[in-house]
Amino acid sequence: MIRAIGAGCAHQLRMMRGTPDWFLALFTTPLLTAVFLTIFQASARQDLTTYAVLAPALMALWTMSLQTAGELISQERENGSLEALLAAPAPFAAVLFGRIGAVTLVSLVAFVEAWLVGWLLTGAPLPVPHPVLFVLTVAATTWSMTGWAGVMACVFVLARSARTFQNSLSYPFFVLGGVLVPVTLLPDWLSWPARAVFLSWSADLLRDSLDAAPVVMAGGRLLIVAALGAAGYVLSHALLTRTLRRVRTTGRLAHA
Amino acid sequence: MYTPVTWTVGWLGRILMQVAFFGLIGLLLQDPEAVRYLFIGQAVMACVVETFMAVASTTWERLSGTLGLLVAAPGALWPVLVGRSVQWLPSGIATSSIALFGLGPAFGVRWHPSTAAIGLCLVVLTALTMYPVALSVAALVLRGPRWRNVASNVSHTLVMLITGVTVPTTFWPDWVQDLALGMPLTHGLAAIRDVQESAAGWDRAGAAAALMVGLGACWLALAAAAFTLFARMGRADGSIDLRD
Amino acid sequence: MTAYAIELQSLRRTFDVRGGAQRLALDRVDLSLPTSGVHGLLGPNGAGKTTICKIIATVLLPTSGRARVLGHDVVRETATVRSLLGIVFGGERGLYERLTAMENLQFWCAMHGMRAGPGRRRAQDLLERLGLGSRAQHRVETFSRGMKQRLHLARGLVSDPPVLLLDEPTVGMDPVSARDFRTVIADLRAEGRTVLLTTHDMDEAQALCDSVTFIDNGRLLGTGSPAHVRGMLGNSRRIMIDDVDAAAAGDLTGVLDRLPAHVRARLQIRHDPADHTLSIEVPTETHVIAAVMSAVLAAGHTAVSAAPPSLGEVYLTLLGTDAQGARRGMEVG
Repeated sequence: MIRAIGAGCAHQLRMMRGTPDWFLALFTTPLLTAVFLTIFQASARQDLTTYAVLAPALMALWTMSLQTAGELISQERENGSLEALLAAPAPFAAVLFGRIGAVTLVSLVAFVEAWLVGWLLTGAPLPVPHPVLFVLTVAATTWSMTGWAGVMACVFVLARSARTFQNSLSYPFFVLGGVLVPVTLLPDWLSWPARAVFLSWSADLLRDSLDAAPVVMAGGRLLIVAALGAAGYVLSHALLTRTLRRVRTTGRLAHA
Repeated sequence: MYTPVTWTVGWLGRILMQVAFFGLIGLLLQDPEAVRYLFIGQAVMACVVETFMAVASTTWERLSGTLGLLVAAPGALWPVLVGRSVQWLPSGIATSSIALFGLGPAFGVRWHPSTAAIGLCLVVLTALTMYPVALSVAALVLRGPRWRNVASNVSHTLVMLITGVTVPTTFWPDWVQDLALGMPLTHGLAAIRDVQESAAGWDRAGAAAALMVGLGACWLALAAAAFTLFARMGRADGSIDLRD
Repeated sequence: MTAYAIELQSLRRTFDVRGGAQRLALDRVDLSLPTSGVHGLLGPNGAGKTTICKIIATVLLPTSGRARVLGHDVVRETATVRSLLGIVFGGERGLYERLTAMENLQFWCAMHGMRAGPGRRRAQDLLERLGLGSRAQHRVETFSRGMKQRLHLARGLVSDPPVLLLDEPTVGMDPVSARDFRTVIADLRAEGRTVLLTTHDMDEAQALCDSVTFIDNGRLLGTGSPAHVRGMLGNSRRIMIDDVDAAAAGDLTGVLDRLPAHVRARLQIRHDPADHTLSIEVPTETHVIAAVMSAVLAAGHTAVSAAPPSLGEVYLTLLGTDAQGARRGMEVG
C-alpha cells in the first residue's frame, strides 16, 4: 500500500518533468501575487499584504490539484495504460493518491514564490508570527486537497461531460473558498455554502497564522479542515470503487 | 470547441466568476470606487484573455502536422495563421459585453443606452487590436509549442498587470508606463472607463479608436514578420516536420 | 497444480449498445489451454479475441460462465490471477512516452509490489534480455515500433509470470522486428511459460503456435494443433499460380475446362485479383495433381506451387474472409 503510494508519487514526478503545462500555476503565481499586492498598495492598504501573498498560493494549490484530478485517469485511458494498471496487483487507489499527492506537494512551491514576491514588492519579508499553526494548516490543507482531488478524479471520469467544466471550477471555488476575500464578507446566502468548502477554513487559518494577534480556536478549526478532507477521502473511495466496478462490468469508464 | 451549453455554463460562467472575484476585492477594500474600477478592468480583460487563446491554437497547426504542408504551399504562411484563430474573437467580445453590461449593474457599473453603445464598440475594437498582440506571442511560441499554455497565461497576466486593468498605469515607473502605451488595451480600457464614469462621448472614443487601430496595425505587421521569419528559420534548421 | 493454464467454460459476454440493444461479444466459449506452450487465438477484428483477453486479465467481468487461470477464478480470485499474469496489449500505446525505458519498467515493477532495488535490477535484466540494454536511459518517444513492442513485452514479464497474454503484439511491426520478436516468444515457450497469443498473422501463428483456436462473432470455430486444423479442410492440396491477372485467369480457366470431365469436376478454382494469384484446390490423388500441373505448365505459367492448405487458407475457409476481415477472392470455376 505504502509502496504503491510511493511509486505513484515518484512516477508522477517523472511524468511532470519537461512538461511545462503541469507547472502552469507555478508560472502565474508570482504574477498574480504582484497583481493582488499592487491593488492593495495602490489603495494604500499595506495591512492586506498577507491576503495578497496567500491567495495566489492557495489558488495554485487548488488549480494544480484540480488539473491533475481531471487529467490522471483520462490520461491513462488515452495512453492505453489504464487496463494494465487496473490489472496490476498494486491497489489502484493507492497509486492514484500517490500521484495526486505528488502534484499537491509540488504546488506548495507556490507558497515560497508568493512569499518571495511579497518580499520583493514590499521591501521586507513577511513575518510568520504563528509558524507552527502555519505549517500545520498547510499540511492539513494539502491532505484535504488530495482527498478532494480524488473525488474530482472520479467525477471527471464517471461523467465525462464534467471535464468540459473543469476549468470553470476554479474561480467559483476561489470565491467560496475565501482565498482572497474572507467568506465572512460575502453575502449570507454565499457564506453558508462556503463553510462546507475546506478551503475557506484553511484560508482563514492561514491568514490568522500570519497575523500577530492570538488565534482563536486554532485546534478546532484545524480539525475541521482535516475532517472535511477526510470526508473527501471517504467519498472518493466510494466513487473510485464504483468507477472501477463500472469499468469491469461494462468495459467502459464513462457514462455515455 | 464550444457548444451553446458548454459555452454558457463552462466558459461564460467561469469568466463571470473571475470578474466577480476581482469585483469582490473592492469589498475587502471597503471602497465602492475600487469595486467598479476592478470590475470594469476584469470585464474588458475577459476578451483579451480569450484572444490570447490564439497563442495555443496557433501551435495546434504545428501539433496536428499541417504546418509543414502550409509552409510548402504556394501562398504566404502569415495570412493563414492570422486567420487561424479568429474564432476566439466573437466569443471574447460576447463574454466581455455580457460581463460589462449584464453583470455590471450588480457591481454598481451602470450604463445608458448611448454610453453602452460606445462601450460595446470599444470592446470590439479592443478585442480586434489585441488579437495581433497575441499572434506575435504565438509566433514566438511556434518555436517551442509545449510552452503554449504557459506563454499564453504568463503574457496575458503581464498585460493585465501593467495596462490599467487592476491598478492605474500611473502606479508604475515611467518605463513600464511607456510599455503599457504600446498596448491597445491601455487606450481602449481608459476610454471605456471615461465613457462609463463621465459619459464621455464619441469624440473621446474616436481618439482612442484611432490610436488602437494604429497600434493594432503595428502589432499585425510584427506578427506577420515573425511568422515569416519562423517559416524561414524552420526551413533553414529543419525544425518544421511534416509529421510533428 | 491444474493441467490447464487457461480454462474458459461457457464464457459469455454482452455489451450494452445505444438504444437499449445488446451486442453479443462472446457466445458460450469453452476452451482449455494446457500449461506451457504458445496458444494462438485467431480471428478478424471484433471477433471477441480482445474480450477474452480482457476477461482473463481481470479488467472485464464475464456476463456469465467462468474463466480460470491456473485453476484460479478470475472473478473470485482476482488478486491471485493478477499475480500469475503478464499482459501485453498490442499497438504502440500503453507506454509512458516521456519516460525512459528504465523508468517505465521500474514503475511496473513497483505496481507488482517489488521494492526499488530489486525492481531496478529486474528492469535492467529484462532490458538486456530484450536487446534494449543500450537504450535503457532513452525516452520511449524516441523508440521505433519494434523497440516499443519489446518494451511492452518486458513490461509483461516484470513479475516473471507463468502465463502471458499477448494481444496482437506484432501488429504494425516491420518484418525484421517481427522475426526477432518471434524468437523471443519461442524462448518464453522454452522456459515453460504459457503464452496466449492473439494475432491476425497466419504465418506467425503457423510458426509459433502449439495450438490454434479460430474465433468469429464471439464463437469458437475450431481448435487444435496447426496440423490438426489444416486437416479440417479435408484431404486436399492447393496449387497456387502467381502473376495471374484477370485475362490470364480467364485463359487458364479455359485450359482447365479442357481437362477430362471427371478431373475438371473435382477442381475448385479461385482467382484473387488483389494478389494476382489463382488457386486450384485438388484432391490428393497423384494423377489429378499431375494432370492439372502439366496443363498449367503447358499454358506457360512457371510460378507454380503445390502444398497442403496453409493456416491462412483454413482461416479463409472457416471465416470466409481474410485476416483483415475483407471478403477476398471470387469463384471462377
